[in-house]
Amino acid sequence: MLEYIISKYNFWIYVILMMIGLYAMMGKRNFVKKLIGMNIFQSAIILFFVSTGVKAGATVPILSGHGHGHGHELIEVAKYINPLPHVLMLTAIVVSIATTGVALAVLILIYRRYNTLEEDEILKIRKDTGV
Amino acid sequence: MAEQFAALVIVVPLIASLFVPLIGWWKKELCYPWVVAVLVVPLISSLGVLNTVMTTGKFSYRLGGWAPPWGIEYMLDHLSAFVLVIVSFISLIVAIYAKKSVEDELPEKTVPFYTLFLLLVTGLLGIVITGDVFNLFVFLEISALSCYALIAIGEEGAPIAAFNYIIIGTIGACFYLLGVGYLYIATGSLNMADLANILPDLYHSKVILIAFAFFTVGVAVKAGLFPLHVWLPDAYCTAPSAVSALIAPLMTKVAAYVMIRVMFTVFQPHFSVDIVPVFAILGWLAVFAIFFGGIKALAQTDLKRMLVYIVVAEVGYIVIGVSVANRMGLTGAVLHIMNDAVMMACLFLVVGAIFYKTGTRDIHQLRYLNKKMPFTMAAFTITALSMVGIPPACGFFSKWYLILGSIEAGQWVWAATLLCSSLINAVLFFRVIECAYFKPMEPAYAHDGGTHEEIQRDEAPLTMLVPIVIMAAGVILLGLFSGNIISSVIQFAVPASF
Amino acid sequence: MKVIALIAALMTGALLIYGTEEMPDWGDPNSPASSHVSPKYIQEATEKTATPNIVTAVLADYRSYDTMGEVVVVFTAGIGCILMLRKKRKGEGD
Repeated sequence: MLEYIISKYNFWIYVILMMIGLYAMMGKRNFVKKLIGMNIFQSAIILFFVSTGVKAGATVPILSGHGHGHGHELIEVAKYINPLPHVLMLTAIVVSIATTGVALAVLILIYRRYNTLEEDEILKIRKDTGV
Repeated sequence: MAEQFAALVIVVPLIASLFVPLIGWWKKELCYPWVVAVLVVPLISSLGVLNTVMTTGKFSYRLGGWAPPWGIEYMLDHLSAFVLVIVSFISLIVAIYAKKSVEDELPEKTVPFYTLFLLLVTGLLGIVITGDVFNLFVFLEISALSCYALIAIGEEGAPIAAFNYIIIGTIGACFYLLGVGYLYIATGSLNMADLANILPDLYHSKVILIAFAFFTVGVAVKAGLFPLHVWLPDAYCTAPSAVSALIAPLMTKVAAYVMIRVMFTVFQPHFSVDIVPVFAILGWLAVFAIFFGGIKALAQTDLKRMLVYIVVAEVGYIVIGVSVANRMGLTGAVLHIMNDAVMMACLFLVVGAIFYKTGTRDIHQLRYLNKKMPFTMAAFTITALSMVGIPPACGFFSKWYLILGSIEAGQWVWAATLLCSSLINAVLFFRVIECAYFKPMEPAYAHDGGTHEEIQRDEAPLTMLVPIVIMAAGVILLGLFSGNIISSVIQFAVPASF
Repeated sequence: MKVIALIAALMTGALLIYGTEEMPDWGDPNSPASSHVSPKYIQEATEKTATPNIVTAVLADYRSYDTMGEVVVVFTAGIGCILMLRKKRKGEGD
């Protein structure tokens, strides 16, 4: 069992992070906490993707010395980690930042209208005003 | 040449959206004609794509010229070309309609509104056209982000609805992304066609099973399928009229398209039907969705809120069509994507026009509306009949195929549900039509001598009326020609193994 | 609500762990993810794009369409914030 966990410990870490984020998104009653949960969730996914690109004993995928002219020599693939997950996650990071930005702007709108970011209080205000 | 049409579908609205702020900075009034003119291009190019697909079969378009599993490609077959035409057509119609509604509801925000409108359309088109699962996520987020912002500027309560939508929508998108990640770990590829080649060998792997589960949940959140629909009613109802008219017909349908794409292109029907019991679950959820949506709609007096719950029920129709997993059912589902988009667009346009003219959406205050807005109400009536399923209108045909499909699959309860929902729709819409056409005069009116002759005709402005009439005509025409549409397009969009 | 959230989170986590069982070990250079599409990037990218950094080459060339989408996402978020927040600044309150 321990062997199994250690051989895939990256997945366990990301799953735990993801559960924390998911719980915060659904269970917390404060909008900012929900938003932080969303960020944790997205970070977990980013960690997950990046960890899939790792190869034991490999280095960053930057080829120094293999520039112009001698492109015919075969590059040893196992020496460089997988670049594709990194590329995907650069995009996903930007997407998550943009989502956070829009969500914060929405929170500003909510705060201007109700002067609070607690879901319970907002529900109470809406009930009192009959909307 | 024909291949370049595929590129224009995305590139033109995308680049044009960058110019909207510049144009608005110079002259605010020019934004509207610019957006309408720009949206003609995707319509023409997607018609061109559809034409090419119909004559020469499916093709792909390599972006940047990189070969598929390494680069990104567009995947153009009958299904995607068909949905492209629907999306670009409805967005053009709604753009024409948006002018007065936006001037009325969002007078100081026209410039960013039109920018986001174009970006939303770009996102939806991008989801449909792409042949790469990760690229689909990027466009999903473009459409979702613009949607969040457009919803948040609606009426009272809109920011909260938008925030809930952000949270739940992000869970959906992240689940989709997790599905992509698991597929990538198991196969090493992101290209849909490539995945479809690799996956059959791995169908019994747990990784693929989990990937499939997360894809399904993520897409179901975006489609607003029954237990995951909680964000949908508030978000669609509080959004500005023009925005609801765009997202209510299109967002859920595009998500349904993604569902069909993932289940029948990325995964083979063999996997989705035989190995995973997903369709039994989805089908029953859809049954609940139809009843839940119908009953909640019956309880509403706000016309728009009633329509929003009908959207929840309509998602159920498409999902039933997918879940029966036979040729009839899937034909019905694809046909219903089109019919429902047109009908929902028409209904939401009518509600927007009524709200623009009378300032209310309460069903009980629609009295004499047939005299005030005869064309609008005529369009509403036609679409209502179509929703109920009266033959010459298009709603009948898709329902017909869905019911036949359910019977063929032996799912009698599903077929009965579809019939029941016609009854519910009949009650729903007859209630509205009764209020608008036949409601007896109240005594107070009679004493004042208020007769029918005195009610002034007060029709919606032309920019609103023309789109409404086009959509209502579309409801009839699509019904009359649905045989042709099925024989020339949809039958090729259904996977050949059925 | 909190109980439902907890159950949902735990179930999701359990599903994800269940899926990892058949995944390749961490850092395995022969996993499908590292052996199907990506080797060609490492072998060819420098030659074809004249960029020593392969992540850059993939980001800005092979998958440049994603990157364009990424830029559009940022643009969308910016315009979205303008749409939501701008008006109130002129005359405080509604």
